[in-house]
Amino acid sequence: MPISVRLPAMLGGEVVTITERVETIGQLVAALGRARPGVSGQLQDAIFNFAVNDEMLLHDVPRHPLNDGDVVEIVPAISGGC
Amino acid sequence: MGIRDRVARLVSELPKEPQYPAQGRTLFVDLETGEIESAYTPRRILETLLSGRGANMFYLYRLLDESLSPLHPDVPLIFGSGVLTGIVPSAARGNCTSWAPESGVILDSNCGDYFPSFLRMNGIDHLVLYGRSPQWSLMLIREGEVEWRDGAPYVGLDNIDMRDRIAAALGGVWTRDMSMVNITRAGENGVLTAGIMGGPKAIYARGGTGAKMASLHLKAIVTLGHTHEFPTPQPYKAYNRQIAQKLLGTSVVKHALSRVGTPFLYRPSRLLGAMGTKNNQETTWTDALDAEHIDPYRPGMEGCFRCPVNCRPQNDLHRDLSDRYGRGDGPEYVTLGKFGPNLGIDNVEAVIRLNNICNDLGFDTASTGSAIGWALELFQRGIITTTHTRGLELHWGDPELVERLLFMTAVREGFGDVLAAGTRAVEQGHYSSEALKYRMAVKGLMQSDPHDARILKAFALGLAVATRGMDHLRNRVTLEINAKINDDPAFKEQLYGGPVSAAPNSYIDKELAVRRCENIYAVGDSVGMCRFTTKLFNSPSLPGLDEFSAQIANVTGFSLTPEELDRIGLNVMGVERMINHRLGVTRKDDTLPDRWFDEPNRHGAYKGEHIDRAEFDALLSRFYRISNLTEEGIPIESWRRELEATMNAH
Repeated sequence: MPISVRLPAMLGGEVVTITERVETIGQLVAALGRARPGVSGQLQDAIFNFAVNDEMLLHDVPRHPLNDGDVVEIVPAISGGC
Repeated sequence: MGIRDRVARLVSELPKEPQYPAQGRTLFVDLETGEIESAYTPRRILETLLSGRGANMFYLYRLLDESLSPLHPDVPLIFGSGVLTGIVPSAARGNCTSWAPESGVILDSNCGDYFPSFLRMNGIDHLVLYGRSPQWSLMLIREGEVEWRDGAPYVGLDNIDMRDRIAAALGGVWTRDMSMVNITRAGENGVLTAGIMGGPKAIYARGGTGAKMASLHLKAIVTLGHTHEFPTPQPYKAYNRQIAQKLLGTSVVKHALSRVGTPFLYRPSRLLGAMGTKNNQETTWTDALDAEHIDPYRPGMEGCFRCPVNCRPQNDLHRDLSDRYGRGDGPEYVTLGKFGPNLGIDNVEAVIRLNNICNDLGFDTASTGSAIGWALELFQRGIITTTHTRGLELHWGDPELVERLLFMTAVREGFGDVLAAGTRAVEQGHYSSEALKYRMAVKGLMQSDPHDARILKAFALGLAVATRGMDHLRNRVTLEINAKINDDPAFKEQLYGGPVSAAPNSYIDKELAVRRCENIYAVGDSVGMCRFTTKLFNSPSLPGLDEFSAQIANVTGFSLTPEELDRIGLNVMGVERMINHRLGVTRKDDTLPDRWFDEPNRHGAYKGEHIDRAEFDALLSRFYRISNLTEEGIPIESWRRELEATMNAH
């Protein structure tokens, strides 16, 4: 099954379906870059975190394993408010 | 020695001339007699603590009589603006400082909007207020001169009406030539969760500021006067432009703060499983409060004096104009969390409306939302019943009930009198001691933000050691939530001055990160910079010690290196701990609510996380060691003597 990637509004807000086989977030980002070249550069911005199946990842993200059917969300994460 | 003798002695020791051209006076104002004395903060204090929060601590250290009680009129209330306040973009902040009636430790609360900058425009850096006015008074500062007005006509007014009445009576224009700090009915009635309003939403929120100002019979301070540039030894505008470009070029400002404001934070917090829900019994909540659902109610953004960021969202519920609370400013993330998940409310319109009510009634939304959440859990557990609430059934997710409780609290009606006691409800005999187990407070102050810190151990340490109580704005290592930084160990080491574990739930080396953040934030408060736009809070790319050092040199002529500024941040914390020690604070107070030790997190990728008591204790000891603190959390003797000598020199 493909992996769905939900982009935040600031990156277009669409859901991108990645059909090529990827096993980690790092591979997913590379595949996303091929599918949406305009998005690839922006993903280097430190503001973007990743959540997999509604669970946010805070470290060791590129090696995080993915499974078929996972839903990945790119979450802009400002960190401090009042 | 009484306050007047203390003030007389201190004033006799202070310079009568400014220490740099743009320095404003410190006014010592006796509200009982109306007498005012004037002096300047000495250079040795500026070079040890800077101005704003730092010099406020100097004045409190010298004038506090800890044998009194916080609401005694001889305990001063001190307003102070930073060295760069009103001069540098995004430096629009000031602090007010005292002994907190809510917590019993230091009161030190920060606010922006226009008052701190306009105070400086009037040639005043600090206001030291003491004594109780014989009748309610209003202090008017016009072109640097103090005039007194009868405060009685304004007693009983909340924030919206107060601002309307003052504008009509004095003829100034908000944001152009007039600013105000004022209390509301809640403050007048001594409600411990009431703040001092500094604008339509801006508030000196924490520690019971409203009740403290009421103890002096002071309803408001209004400034009138035109803005101007400051005389400085070196030009500063060109460097200001660089700072503004840096602010506006930072991703988090461009993408989040300027567009949506802090509600952006809600979604990452709940996805992490760290959103304090139902008084932190749970840690995640509905997506119905995600920032995108606030978009339809946000007609625009506003900002503080000369801040290019404009991060304050406006709101409009598109209701009949007769609905007093159908529009306003905010909500910020804290209010969204404290009046949403914390109270089991999932309706975005309800949260916005409650936010607008709090802004009018002058409530610290952190402490007020927490006090209500605490009561709801106690009712849920049967620790309090309708006997305590005088017939009210308390349930989660009931915005109409919460609205009613807010108005009851403001006037101490019925169960509102219990909520008005805030964290002190047990001490004042309203609840049994069993209730303390569920109180989300440290050092007598309810948690400032809705983040549940069982996962991120640096967040937890920061909340435990913050000098004013359980507050994230003093030292939060916010970038621990940023995965890209966690996954770049070299960059992380550079940010925090040493290696810090990438794992957010690790205890390893987290003391280094908290120490670094506490220092830079204390400096930020002492120069007047907004926390949102200070390096390490929302981004590693924002202005920090390098920029502060350069602009302090331009504005004051003082040469303070970034390393010396870092030391000044440590000094501010050291003096605060020395004052807290006089108020009885020891190591046992640098701790966390029982719940975070005893109840594992039940949601998200970090299910099972809690705070391990032994690991936390070891982390605290390491934090003390790198902070030059003893095992009891006060400055080591050599440093203590050094600070005492500086504070007492003349």
